[in-house]
Parts: sequence; structure tokens; C-alpha cells
Amino acid sequence: MTAGTLRAHPAADFEAFADVARLKSPVRLWVLFALAVIVAFFGLIYSRISLDHSAFEIQELEQRIATEEARYWQLRLEVAELKDPGRVETLIADLGLVYPESRVALSVPGIDTERLDAEYRWAQLKALLSAQP
Amino acid sequence: MGRPQWRVADIRLVLVGTVLIASWIGIGFRLFNVQGVHAAEYAEPGFDQRVRHEETPAKRGTIYDRDSVELAVTVDAQTVVADPSAISDPVGTAAVLASLLGIDESSLVTRLSDSSSQFAYVARRLDPLVAEEVRLMLADEQIKGISLITEPKRVYPADSLASQVLGFVRQDDQQGLEGIEYEYNEVLSGTPGTRILERDGYGVEIPAGELLVEPAVPGSDLILTIDREIQSAVQEAAERALQTTNAQAATIVVLEVGTGDILAMASAPGFDPNRRSGIEPSTVRNRAVTDVYEPGSTLKVVTISAALEEGLVTPEDSWEVPFQLEIEPKEEPYTDEGRDHVATMTVTEIVAYSSNIGTIQIQQRLGNETLHRYLGAFGLGQSSDSGLPGEVPGLLRPVEEWCANVCGPSTAIGYRVDVTPLQMAALFATIANGGVWVQPHVVQAIVDSDGRTEINEPLQRPVLSEDTAQTMRQLLQGVVEYGTGHRAVVDGFTVGGKTGTTQKFLSDEGVYSEEDRIASFIGMAPVDDPRIVVAVVLDSPHGTITEGDEIADLRFGGVSAAPAFAEVAEAVLHRLGVAPDVP
Repeated sequence: MTAGTLRAHPAADFEAFADVARLKSPVRLWVLFALAVIVAFFGLIYSRISLDHSAFEIQELEQRIATEEARYWQLRLEVAELKDPGRVETLIADLGLVYPESRVALSVPGIDTERLDAEYRWAQLKALLSAQP
Repeated sequence: MGRPQWRVADIRLVLVGTVLIASWIGIGFRLFNVQGVHAAEYAEPGFDQRVRHEETPAKRGTIYDRDSVELAVTVDAQTVVADPSAISDPVGTAAVLASLLGIDESSLVTRLSDSSSQFAYVARRLDPLVAEEVRLMLADEQIKGISLITEPKRVYPADSLASQVLGFVRQDDQQGLEGIEYEYNEVLSGTPGTRILERDGYGVEIPAGELLVEPAVPGSDLILTIDREIQSAVQEAAERALQTTNAQAATIVVLEVGTGDILAMASAPGFDPNRRSGIEPSTVRNRAVTDVYEPGSTLKVVTISAALEEGLVTPEDSWEVPFQLEIEPKEEPYTDEGRDHVATMTVTEIVAYSSNIGTIQIQQRLGNETLHRYLGAFGLGQSSDSGLPGEVPGLLRPVEEWCANVCGPSTAIGYRVDVTPLQMAALFATIANGGVWVQPHVVQAIVDSDGRTEINEPLQRPVLSEDTAQTMRQLLQGVVEYGTGHRAVVDGFTVGGKTGTTQKFLSDEGVYSEEDRIASFIGMAPVDDPRIVVAVVLDSPHGTITEGDEIADLRFGGVSAAPAFAEVAEAVLHRLGVAPDVP
């Protein structure tokens, strides 16, 4: 019967459907809008938390950089202390080493006459050595 | 129809509504007042409450030697601080800390017991190993009210090495107080940065809330001309000279010929800038530039050089030299040490045996004006601007102010003129450098935080011709080979130099000391192509040494200062890799 009625009044059915659709469409929009607002809200919170998290990470990294830099300078200081000529001299004296009674100088041909060139080459070599990591 | 009756509920409703509306109006009015009318007035204190301005210190520049080894470096050091208001057991806490830090327990108890205070230093700038022990102890025992903070600490890794050149800083604010640290304080200090931080209600920094960062610009680094190895050898030699000659002070300067680089500069006794409490103030002074003395016979090189340059004498010229010379109004006659007869001497012998009278005879040919001109050209009476603080110009009076008859002769043999050891070293370096005076200097380069390097170019000026300088070097070689400076011989090398001995002027009393002398020796090596000049000046050496059958008086420069020269010159020539020139 109902199907027959529906079939008998197709225009009325469409009207009823349209009424329901008109009713549902704004609700759906509102729901979508609410969802969008909620997503945006939580997205904003998430982005803010991420930003804060990054800030903490940056702060931690900066702290580590500062720590490593301090360690670097501390190690350089220790190297300089170990190189102290006074300390080295005390150590070699403890080992029983002494300066030689006499010295022998060997004259290498070309070195004396081209002292400046030799110094230049040595300066270049030192620069090269100091550039090594 | 009568008027409507107000029910109690209606009245309550109206009242509540009225109160609410009035409240909202009040709040709105206040809001408008605060946010609108007085917005600017409240904004500033609000901002100030929320943010904190913080100055970030600039790292002080490092001082290096000529081989880029650190001489002074700033590191982070740990300082133990206390919040006495948070410490419940000051006595127990003090006992634990005092034993660990090696500090006085009773004074620490006093500091930690002041519960009204929220901050007190316990121990500052600890040794790294001790700081680590404290950190572990604090982590283990959870001592409340004690924490570690980081402070910059200036450290001199080689302790007393070149301490008078480097000086030191005040650790509290890292400001230079002496030496290079003082003179180049602005360059080394850099520029502090700024941070504006946002903080929460508890005063804790909000990591993401930083508003502004103006980074600090680190201080520039200094590269000195000092060589650590040579400096160490020089300091040892100065200390040894002090002991062997019983002198009050010993000063040694080493210059590199041609460049004017100060390779080493030391005075003994010295001090350790890392441990300054209780040090004698006079040990801090860099005597090589702050103290003046009358150079005596070492200044004869100017008189002789000037006469050679002016063509008034040659090394072979000879004449009769009396053993004493009276010049009015001087009461005592000029004499030559150890000579009691008239002798015929060449100019070479006058220099070698350091004849006062022979030199005065040459000065009388030269004249006061010419002598004065050469003294000035050699850099006397003016600061050499070596880059060291407290450098004095010495004293060279204008020739117009020289007294009649006596001032010229006295100046020719090294009296009536005040010099510093550095000036005298530069003077001899002029002769060693073919007659060209080169400004002595201690800072080779300044390297800023971006790596830009500013090289120090020393001043130069010609004083003598190359020929005169070479002749003068040969005359000075005679001093060492058979004259008064024979104790300055260095095995394997030709050495030229001059001895000097003057009565010490007692400035407090305004008279010359009868006993005390200033003994010096200044020389160069190798003679043909000098690489170094070494000046040794001893203040008041005394005593004697026995050499075979002879007893030598240590008050003389040739006896006390010349051996110190030989010791230093040998070490420096070896360090510089100079080939021996004597088979």
C-alpha cells in the first residue's frame, strides 16, 4: 500500500525528501564547521606544543654547544699546560736527561744560502699542518 | 485594572539583574580605563614584570705566543654558591664542603648560618677536578641550598711564564689590570650581547618566549712576538743570575734583529699570575720598560758610532790616552778602571777595553750637538711604543740644557742619560741591523672574532750607514774576543757586545751609591749576520768569584752580566736554528 501510495504521489515524496534534506543540510554544515573548529583548535594547540618542544630542544642543544665549547677550551688549556717548557724541563731532568757537552752542526748545502726560502717553505708546511682537523 | 503586583521573586530578579548589569558596566568601565585610557601607563611595568633584560658577557680574547700556543685563555669555571635561607643544617653542610674544598670551616659556618641571606659564595672558580667532585657530591647527597654556577676564569697555562709581559685580569669582571691584559683590555674584552627573555609567574625563563637576542662579540685574540721556549730559557737565566750574583733584580730582553720582535722579556724575581695573593708588588713590574738606569759603558757605542759615521775616526786611528782626565768643575777626575799609566790606544782598543778617557776624547771631537742628535736617532729619550704599559721614555735632556764642560763627556760614557733595558736592546739591534732602527714590539697581530688579522708593522728609520754598522759590529766583537766581555763567548758563534757598569743612583737620597752598581752586558750574534740581540741588566750584584788565581768582582758587567748573556744567547741561537759560524 505504501509503495503504491508513493508511486501514486511521486511529487509529494520528493517534497518530503526535500524538506528533510533542507533540515539536514544546515545541521551537517554546522557539524562540519564545529569539527573544523575543533580540528583547528587542537591543531593550534599541537603546533604550539611542537613549537615549545622545539624551543626546549634548541635550548638543550645550545646548552650542549656551550658545554662542548667549554670542554674544548678546557682541553686546549690542558694541552697548553702540558706544553709548558718549565714542566717539560722538570720532567726531562727527572728522567736524567742533560744537555750534550758538545754540539755538532751539519751544514746542508743550499739551506744557509737560501735561508729566507727555507723559512718560507717551513711557514707553508706549518700552515698546512695546522689546517689538518 | 490595578497596577501589577511585584512578587518577591520579581524584586529579587530585578535586584540581581541590576547588580549584574552594574557590575558589568563597572567592569567594562574599568576595562576601558585600563586597556584604553591608561593602556600605555600599565603596558610598560607589565612588560618589565614579564621580561628580563640580560647581558651576555663576551668571551675574552686569547693571548698566544708566536707559535700560536696559549699564554692566557679564558675558560668556564664552576663556582659553589649557597642559599643560606634554604640550609637547615649550616654546621653539617659547612663541614662537608670545607673538607672537600679545602677552605676554612668556621668562616663557612658563619656565612651559611645567615638565614636572612639568599646568596653567598662558598668557593669560586674551582679546579675542574674539584668541581666534578662537588657536582657528584651534590647529586648523591642532595644537599639543599648549595648549587654550582658557571663563571669565566682567566688562566695562564704556563704559570709564571712571561707574567710581567702578560700581566693579569681582575677575575670578578675580567678587566685587565697589568701588562698586555691592561694595555689591550678593550681589544681583548669584546662587546657584551643582550637578551630579552620572557619568564613565567615563577620567574622561570620561557624557552619559546625569547624576544630579542643581540649576540655578544667575542674579544679579539692577540698573537705576541714572544717565543715560549726562549722566554722560559730567559726566565731561568734571570733567576740563576739573581742567585749567582746576589743581585736585587735581573732583567733580560731578547730582540730579533730586523723585525724588532721581542722574543723574550723577563725580570727576576717574577710572579705567578694564577696565584697572586701575597705577591710582592715590585715583582709585577716589567722592569725592561718601566725602570731606567744610567747605561754606562754600553752607551759608548753611540759615541763611537757617531764618530765613525761622521768620519772623525777610523778603527785603526790611535793616540795617547791618559789614565785620568780632569775637567772643571767636576771634582773627581775621569779615570779608566785598572789603568795607571798613559797608553797609546787605537779606537778598536778604546772600545775593547772600555776606556772612559779615550771615549771622552772622541766625544770632544764630536761635539755635544752631534752626540745628542745620534742619541735621539737611536731612540733614547722617547718611548718606543712597544705596546707594553708603563713604558717610560727615559731621560735625554735637550742639548741646550747640558751643563758646560762636563755633561758632554759624562753622557759619552753613559752618565746623565736615563734609559730602559728595552731602549738599549733596540739601540744594539740598530747596529746589528745594518744601521736601521726598528721599533721593538711585543704584539705581532690582532685577530678579531671574524678571523680578520691586523698585522703590526713596526716603525723603521735609518741611523747609521751599513758600513759604519758593520765596522761597529767588528769593534764589538773585539770586546768579547779580547776585551772586557770575554765571559760572553758562545761556543760555535761569533759574538759582539759591550759591558757596562755604573754606580747606582739612589733616587731617594739623590746621591750615587758607593757600593751598589748597575751591571750590564748587551750583545749580538753571529757578528756577520746577527739574528739576535740580548740585553742583560743586573741591579746591585755583589760578591766575588774565583777564576783560577783571579778574584773577579761581580759588580762589573763583564763579570756578572756577560755569563748570563752567553747562557741566553746559546739557548736562543739553538732554538732559532742558527748555524754556527765558528768552526
